[in-house]
Formats: sequence, C-alpha cells, structure tokens
Amino acid sequence: MGDTTLKQDPAPGGGAFSLADTIRAVEVDLRILGMLVALAVIWLGFHIASGGLFLTPRNLWNLSVQTSTVGVMATGMVLVIVSRNIDLSVGSMLAFIGVATAVLQKNILSDIIGFDHPAIWIIAVGFALIMGAILGGFQGWVVSYIGVPSFIVTLGGLLVWRGASWQVASGQTVAPLDGIFRLLGGGSRGSIGATLSWIVGIVACVGIILLLVNKRRQRHQYGFPVRPLWAEIGLGVIACSAVLGAVAIASSYAPLDRALGISNPVLILIGVTVIMTFIATRTRFGRSVYAIGGNPEAAELAGINTRRTILLVFALMGVLVAVGAVIQTARLNAATSALGTALELSVIAAAVIGGTSLAGGVGSIPGAVLGALVLQSLISGMVLIGADAPVQRLVVGVVLVFAAAIDVFYRKRTERLVAT
Amino acid sequence: MTDASQDGTPLVELRDVRVSFGGVHAVDGVTIDLYPGEVVALVGGNGAGKTTLVRTLSGAHPADSGEILIEGKPADIRTPRDAKDLGVETIYQTLALAENIDAPSNMFLGRELTTRWRTLDDSAMESEARTIMGRLNPRFQNFKIAVASLSGGQRQSVAIAKAVYFNARILIMDEPVAALGPAETAQVNELVLQLKAEGIGIFLISHDIHDVFDLADRISVMLHGRLVGTVNKDDVTMDEVLAMIIMGKLPTEVTDVELEELHG
Amino acid sequence: MSRTRLRAFVPIIAIVVGTMALAACDSGDDDGGDDGGDGLTVGVSWNNYNEERWAKSDEPAIKAALTAAGVEYISADAGSSAEQQLADIENLIAQGADALIILAQDGTAVLPGVQSALEQGIPVIAYDRLIEDPGAFYLTFDNVEVGRMQAREVFKLVPEGNYVFIKGNAADANADFLRGGQQEILQEAIDSGAIINVGESYTDNWDPAVAQTNMEQFLTANNNEVDAVVASNDGMAGGVVAALEAQGLAGVVVVSGQDGDQAALNRVALGTQAVSVWKDARDLGKAAGEIAVALAGGTELGSVTGAIVFVTPGGNSMSSILLPPIPITQDNLNLVVDAQVLTTEELCQGVTAGSVAACG
Repeated sequence: MGDTTLKQDPAPGGGAFSLADTIRAVEVDLRILGMLVALAVIWLGFHIASGGLFLTPRNLWNLSVQTSTVGVMATGMVLVIVSRNIDLSVGSMLAFIGVATAVLQKNILSDIIGFDHPAIWIIAVGFALIMGAILGGFQGWVVSYIGVPSFIVTLGGLLVWRGASWQVASGQTVAPLDGIFRLLGGGSRGSIGATLSWIVGIVACVGIILLLVNKRRQRHQYGFPVRPLWAEIGLGVIACSAVLGAVAIASSYAPLDRALGISNPVLILIGVTVIMTFIATRTRFGRSVYAIGGNPEAAELAGINTRRTILLVFALMGVLVAVGAVIQTARLNAATSALGTALELSVIAAAVIGGTSLAGGVGSIPGAVLGALVLQSLISGMVLIGADAPVQRLVVGVVLVFAAAIDVFYRKRTERLVAT
Repeated sequence: MTDASQDGTPLVELRDVRVSFGGVHAVDGVTIDLYPGEVVALVGGNGAGKTTLVRTLSGAHPADSGEILIEGKPADIRTPRDAKDLGVETIYQTLALAENIDAPSNMFLGRELTTRWRTLDDSAMESEARTIMGRLNPRFQNFKIAVASLSGGQRQSVAIAKAVYFNARILIMDEPVAALGPAETAQVNELVLQLKAEGIGIFLISHDIHDVFDLADRISVMLHGRLVGTVNKDDVTMDEVLAMIIMGKLPTEVTDVELEELHG
Repeated sequence: MSRTRLRAFVPIIAIVVGTMALAACDSGDDDGGDDGGDGLTVGVSWNNYNEERWAKSDEPAIKAALTAAGVEYISADAGSSAEQQLADIENLIAQGADALIILAQDGTAVLPGVQSALEQGIPVIAYDRLIEDPGAFYLTFDNVEVGRMQAREVFKLVPEGNYVFIKGNAADANADFLRGGQQEILQEAIDSGAIINVGESYTDNWDPAVAQTNMEQFLTANNNEVDAVVASNDGMAGGVVAALEAQGLAGVVVVSGQDGDQAALNRVALGTQAVSVWKDARDLGKAAGEIAVALAGGTELGSVTGAIVFVTPGGNSMSSILLPPIPITQDNLNLVVDAQVLTTEELCQGVTAGSVAACG
C-alpha cells in the first residue's frame, strides 16, 4: 500500500548517527526547537548590541512581566484560530473589562465595603472573569448559533467594546486601584519572593520528571516504542536546568534590596499555559476544537456539538482577555479606554509565530507563549538599544512574515505533522 | 460469492422514505432493504437521490416521512449518534476524517476513550487502533502522524477501521474507491468481502458499474428520486443495469435495440 | 405574486408613505426659526458628542457665548464617522447656519465639507483640531506652548541631569508639536551639556501601558540614572510613574504631563508628577462662540480680535487664535478644583494632611 514512501516511527538505535536522527529520537517538536534557537539568537544579539544590558536579571525579569498579558491572551487565541475563527476584539475587550473592573473597585466597592477592604481584589477579579466569559460567550453565540463570520462579529466587537470602555468612565482614567489587586501586576511587591520561587521551581522540576516517567511507563505498558534512555534523561536534565535557571535569575533580581523571585504575572502566565495546554491536548473539548479546525463536517458527523464547542472557545478567549486586563491594569495601577489598542495584532502575531496556522487545525499553545516572548524580546530589546517605534514596527512586521513563511516551508517539507 | 440468505427479517428496511428540499423531491417514496452478510449496491446518475437516501439512515439528514426498521423494529434516527447507537456506521464520500489529527484520534472522534480522570487516553486509543488495523491492514504503521500525510487507500482503511471497531452491523459506503488507484481499490474490495463474511450488511453507493458487479449481491437503481427497481446481480447484465440507470427501464421492459443504443 | 397578496401590501405602503409625509412636515419645524428674520444661527459639528468633555465643558461655553449675543445654536453629532460629518455639515447649512464650528473627526476627510461651506459664503472655524484650509479660522490651544510649559516646569526643578522623553503617537501631528515646544525650552541646556537626552521614544496610540514598558527599558538602559521624564500627556505619565514606583523612584524623578486628568492631578498633589498642563475647555468654547458670532456678522478672518497668522505643517497660512493653556503644579491646584474638574476629595486622596495648600 505504499507505506515505504513515508517516514516511519523512530527506529530504536543503530544505523548512521546524524543530527536529524538525534532530534527525531528525542521526539521534540522541531518548531518549538527552532523558536528556542531563534530566541537565543535574538537575546544574544541584543545583549551584544546593548553593551551587556539584555541578559541581566533585571531586564529578563522585566521582560517576563512585559510578556505576560499578550502571552496569556495568545493561549486563547490559538484555540480560536485553530477552530477556523479569529478574534479581533481582544484589545478593545481588554480595555472595557479593565475600565469596568477599575470602576468597580474604586467607585462602587469602596463605597459599599470601604476602601482597602481585603476582599475587594477577589470580587474585582471574579467580576472581570465573569464579564470576560459573558462578552466572549456572546460573541461566540453570534458566531456559532446565528452564523455570522467571526471576522465580522469580532470586528464589531472591536468597535463596540472600545466605545463601551469610554462610556463606563466617561473617558476618564480610573486610578489608583486597590492595593492588593495591584500586586497581581508585578512591581516591587508583586512577586512571590526567593523562597517560594525555589519551591515552585523544584515542584515544576519534579513535575516534569514525573511526566516523562509516566509517559515512558505508559508506552512500555502498551508495547509502543519509547525514546532511548539517554534522550529521556537528557530532556529531563535540560528542562530542569532551564526551570531552575530561570528561578535563579528571578531570585537574583533585588531592586530595593528585596529578592523578587517569580513575579505574579509570570506565575499567572505559567499557570494559564499549563491549564490551556492540558485543555488542548488532554480533554475531549480540546480534541473537538482541533477536529473542527481540521474538518468541521467530520466533527459534526462524529457527533461533536460543534456549535457549543465554538461558543465555549470564544467564552474561554473572553476569560483569558479578562486575565490579561487584570494583569495590565494592576501593573499600570490605572485603567483607561486607551489600553489594549491594536493589541489583538500582537496576540495574533504571537500565535502565528508560535506555529498556529491561520487556515485552522494546527496550533501549539506553548508555541504561542514562546511567540509572545519572541515578540516582546524584539520590542523591549529595541527600546533598550534606542530604536524608536517606527523601526520597531518594521522589525516586528518582517519577523512575523518570516515566521509565517517558515511555517509554510516546514509544512510543505515534512510529513511529520503532530497535533500540538 | 455468497448467496445472501434472504429469508427472515432484513437487517435494515427503508420503507417509503421521502425527503424534500424546498419544492424538490430528492427522495420520492423509496423502499429498499438489506440482509445480513449481503452487499446491496445503490446506483443511479447524479441527483438520483442515492446519497440523500442513505443519509436518512446514517442520521445526517432525517427523512421527512417514511419508516426505517432495523431488524424488524422501528428506529428513530435523527442524529449521527442515533445511527451509531443502532450499529449503523457510515464511510462518507468525503471520508469525514479530520486531516490534522492522527488515525487513532480520527477513529475515536466524538467517542474518545478516557482515563479515570476523564482525560484523553491516547495510549489506549492507539493500542486499540493497532489491534483493529492489524486485522484489516497489517502493513499500516503510521499511527502517530496526521491523516493528511496518508495515501488514499490508507485513509480508507482508517475510515473502515473506525466503522468496524464500533461493531457496525450495518455499513454504508458512499463511493469508497472513487479516489483510489487499481491496487488500492482491490485492497478495499478485499476488505468489503471480509466484512460480508462476518455478517455485516453493506449499502454500497457507486457510480462504477464494474466495482458494483464485483462486490454486490443485489442492485437497487434510483432515478430522479424514485426507485426504478431492485435486481439480483446474478440475474442481469451490465447493460441491463445501465438501461435502468439511464432510461429507467427494467430488464423486462427494455428492448435489444435500446441496449445497443447505450453504446452508441 | 397573486392579486390577493399584492392587496395586502396596500395598507402597509399607505402607512409607510404616511409616516414619511409626517416626518417631512415635522422636520421643517424643529430647527427653531431659520426663516425667523434677523436672528443669526451658528451650527456646531461635533465629531463624537459622547466624549465627556464636549458636553461638560465646550458646549455650555459655546452656547453661553452665543446666547449672550442673541444667536441661535444648532448642532449635529457625527458619531466618530468622517462620512457622517460631511453629511452633518450639509445638514447644518440646510438648516440655515450662518457660521460653522467644526470639530473635525478627520482633518483631511472633512475638507470637501469645509470647501463647500466656504463656497456658499458660510465662514468655518476649525475647532481644536487642525483643518488645513486657508479659508477657515483655526482656533485651538497652543500645543507647542503646552510642550514649552511641560519643559519649563521640569527644567525649573531639574536644571541639569539625564532626561527621558516619552512622546505621543508617531502618526499624530500633535506629538511633534509638543516635542518641538519641549525642545525649544531645553535646547540651550542640551547644547551646553547640562541636560543629556538618555532616552526618547514615540508611544503607539499614546498607550499608557506601552509608555510603562518603554520607561522600564530606559531605566534599565541607564541603570536608574534618570532625573527627569518629559511625558507628553497624563495617561503616559501614569505609565511612567508606575515604572518609577517599581524602582522606588516615584516622587524622586520629575515627571510632566497634560490634560488635567483626575489621576494626574492627584499625582501632582501627591508629588509624583510635577505638572499637568491643563487646557480649560470652557475658554475654548467661549472663544469659538464669540468668533463665530463675529464671522457670521461679516467680520473678515484677519480682522477677528486677537487673530494671528499661523503657518500650518501643510504650509497653509491660517488666521488663528491659539489659546494659552495653564500649567497646574502643586502651587495652583485650587484652579482645577474651582473649575470643578474634580472634587477636593478626589484631588487629595492619599495626600498627607497639611502638605499641599489646596488640600488644607
């Protein structure tokens, strides 16, 4: 039947030992690998160009916080694009949710339960998440149950939510925000400190090792081929070093003489990434989203409730926008209707750089977060070396097209398309 | 070629089924049946209504009126899931496979196996897929790559494996070999005969008269939404069947002159 | 369609036609005496009336000035649409406006409307936003002066040191007006080396979050050795202060802004922002009303009291009045409270008692 023309599953050991074989044996997504290499090149490049400023704990810490908002939203955008839709409204929705939540904190709650009440931030965050789910869910409903193309619906959303964000506070800047709420945005007190960071790092390391062990055991159990042992160990060591190294860097940054450790926004980003990756790869919902993106008819015929799935995808996007709004406003300690203008473009760009195809059906959530990091590294790095906004836009635009072109090239060349 | 047993209750009966779109009668009072272990070919020109008819059975588009009986009992099929619950599996003309995910995921789409924590059990699904494929197409090895990278024949075997795994008793195959080369067609035909031998009843839609004569036991011909007639394959010639398809005339009605003209 | 079906449509058509007739009759009445003889009418074309400032400050001031002169006020709201504004202009002319005050949604897209009005002998005032037509009168706050005021206040407090410039949106003409004004004041000190420009960037969409990120990078690049930040508006100043706070530098590094934003005025009271240049919109509205009355009464553009010739970036010479803005610092916060921009409570949130005059 012609199987021989296609690549087989990795053969264990033996034969000519090439780099290609090594990479294949380790079974890591080539694209993610490519992005990590690109990131390393960018970081090194900026480090040299800035005279040694880029690869410092301070700059890297800032970079991680600066990436969080787009990173969080990009995880949701992956599923939206995978399902053959698009969401152009995320920037405006962020402003609307941000301003509304700020007004809630500053004007409403402080009147009801008093300024500086410890529960204000909880209510505010809860409110934001629910608002995001409703706004997103509404857009999803119009897309899937009324049948208006998502481009149009979310384009409308882009205009409507922006106008709404103006209305909520009559165009005024709402500031300052609740003291505890602000900590969610990072800053000199918005991080978990060195000790907790190390604990998180160790837990993450242990988690990674457990995942590798578990997967290997499962494969053995079914008699499937497994990675060579050296590859498993190597992967574990590299991953753990990366995690612990990141924690070390975060913990060594101590402005105002307090070791900051992992910032809250980054913690939120990591949590969101883990959860979203889990949803995408380990749940029926996630599988349905990819199936709908690959062949909506097949999904329908397989008995998947495609309408409900799409609605949920948009609702989920709304929730993630809300998380982004919380981080963004907490960080700024203010909410204005100007926030998030054109942010949807960065979010979409991050997803695309991370390997999500605008044709639908293909996309990686960790990839999108890496894409966000690549984008922000470019922008922040350029400010560091004194390149102004027009140059920044030029570079980002070129990188975006370049990344998409590589995507097309990769897709055409290899046969090995693995879902997430 | 087995002589399908036609005594006893049919596996499936479609009685006086009608389907309309707007003012058009796509299916206009058609009655056909299917016995276990037999292949009934459903043939006709474009727009004859064959696909619409079987879609009422597969749950993709419920009939406006008429009855469906499965093993003699009335069945209410409104969704694909209803059909599957009754043991009806369909291999669609467009294959209904999601190109971007792998073979086991496609097999279990919508019916995924889960671990006790309700997460997807990809390893179990892969294992089951390997077992089934071992039976149907032992040379198939590409379980972890996206279906888009498979050849037409391989994709067909995935689609068939999907149907078979879920204990289909009734299989609907809509143009299964239309997009395949001769070697792959032969392979699929082998599979069909194997399934027949296991007692599965198969509705086969095909426009290729040769494939029909290779596989079918009986042939039902449709024209403009109506059933022209159902004949035993052994009792007719290809030309007579063609006459039914094109002219709507039964073998008993058609003249030799007209049969000649078919080739003119 | 059958005859019976057609017949069913008749009552519907009758109702529709009837309603339209009623509406046509009605609209002739509600613009208030355009055929009422001597009374002049001034039409105002808002770009988006929903923005709080127009309703709260500009419109009442314009109306008051017009009423004082016995002139009728009519208006239209373009809802942020440039196309709609063109229709609004025609509409106002049709309603009998003798002069137009136009707050342009898009200064270029509105040109046909302006030209059409001028051809019909109706004078036009370009209100707050530039419309490049030498036949129109340009009334705005002096944006270059805003920049100068920002720089002056900062320079007073930091005559030497490292300066960062957080500019507005690169595509916005105002951003460069401001920067130009700032540069004028600081040029000498920069030339002598007393002031060093250690960081300068445009801010996409004047977005405070972008300003914050840029400021963080500038602080990193200079190892926190920054003494002053000339931020071009209050929103961005907020982002700058947030970045400074993370490094414990808020209140140490001097920051400027503009708009008289509530949050910014609070920062001025708290001492984390040195100045917010405030444009009292009531002054602008009042001037617009008075100039419109003069122009409608036949005064020549160049003869309007206080008019100067302003050369626009596009090279047009326009008769203009550029109103002076007011720099608000800790010393004169009472002005904004008196003008009801915000309450004393809002202004003084978090301020230590007795540290600021306006907070008592």
